[in-house]
Amino acid sequence: MKIAVVGKGGSGKTTTSAVLARTFARHGHETLALDCDTNPNLGISLGLGEEATERLVTVRDAVDAGEEDHAVSPDDLVERFGAPAPDGVRLAVVSAIQNPEPGCP
Amino acid sequence: MRVAFVGKGGAGKSSLAGTFARLLARTGQRVLALDSDPMPGLAFSLGVGVTDAGLPDDAVEEYEERGRRRYRLRAGLTGPEAVDRYAVRGPDGVHFLQLGKARGPRWNNSRQHFGFQGVLDDLPGDGWSIVGDLPGGTRQPFMTWGRYARTFLVVVEPSTASVLSGRRLARLAEGSRRPRVLAVANKVREPDDGELIAAGTGLEVVGAVPMDRALADADRLGLPVVDAEPDAPAVAAVRSLVNALREREVSS
Ligand SMILES: Nc1ncnc2c1ncn2[C@@H]1O[C@H](COP(=O)(O)OP(=O)(O)OP(=O)(O)O)[C@@H](O)[C@H]1O
Ligand SMILES: [Mg+2]
Repeated sequence: MKIAVVGKGGSGKTTTSAVLARTFARHGHETLALDCDTNPNLGISLGLGEEATERLVTVRDAVDAGEEDHAVSPDDLVERFGAPAPDGVRLAVVSAIQNPEPGCP
Repeated sequence: MRVAFVGKGGAGKSSLAGTFARLLARTGQRVLALDSDPMPGLAFSLGVGVTDAGLPDDAVEEYEERGRRRYRLRAGLTGPEAVDRYAVRGPDGVHFLQLGKARGPRWNNSRQHFGFQGVLDDLPGDGWSIVGDLPGGTRQPFMTWGRYARTFLVVVEPSTASVLSGRRLARLAEGSRRPRVLAVANKVREPDDGELIAAGTGLEVVGAVPMDRALADADRLGLPVVDAEPDAPAVAAVRSLVNALREREVSS
């Protein structure tokens, strides 16, 4: 099962995603929570805490650093760069904007 | 003054920016309100009645540069002329211009996008105040959509994620042209929410807007809060914010 949560700013996407992920995990499903927001906060809603959320290395950064050469599959990528969250959820952050760059909106 | 509202998704950027623009216009300023969010928001809080008022296609021309297709304002069309012709006139004389709204999954917005940026780089100067509403999050607010702003107002709610977003924005601003960046506390419920936001973001808090049902009620009706409930506490707080920024303009 693959679920994408979308909607307007502040409508509750992150909170809904986090509750869904932890609920599935509690029911015994192997669960991957993917944060696709460039301003990623899913870690906070999952209960990882603010500091740990800020420390997460994004998959994109890892790929940019050439790390994907060491990962043989998407599963492996998630394994390497995902972080453990409560209830056994695995959290991976796709990308975060770290530096201001002109051009790309 | 030239201000742009930034902050986490749902922090209240559009609600505050629209109210701010209306109240600023009432002080006698000519105000251009700019919406660079492809999702509608500002139109409602301003009360302009149109949610898709971008530049028409023929205001933007295509050209080629080193084999790549590019867009710019039509030859001879300046930013101020584009504002004069295409900005919608709203209540209190506010002019309203936006990046077009997203039209379906395959909408290619390059034309709108670069045309709008052409206006941002050539905004009317003397006698105009600019109030911008930017998309939520940290996607290039300082160098792309907000590059005209002299002051960025980061709207922050008293929540961990909102404060964290404010801190990220403060950090991103430092790496760019170092504009003036101030926080506005929104949806404030506790007396120490302002302090929490100042400490958490590292930003000076220049205004505090209370959690106010009037905003939710106005939103439900699709009306600007300044019209629906002019005496609401949130409106009074935005008026104080307008005054605080005007005083800073005078002193700087
Ligand atoms: N001070 C306030 N008190 C109560 N509700 C508020 C307040 N400010 C904003 N809101 C409500 O919060 C919600 C989000 O507001 P708004 O659309 O202005 O946020 P935004 O930052 O522009 O969101 P987006 O990131 O999607 O553009 C709306 O329902 C609005 O009515
Ligand atoms: Mg908005």
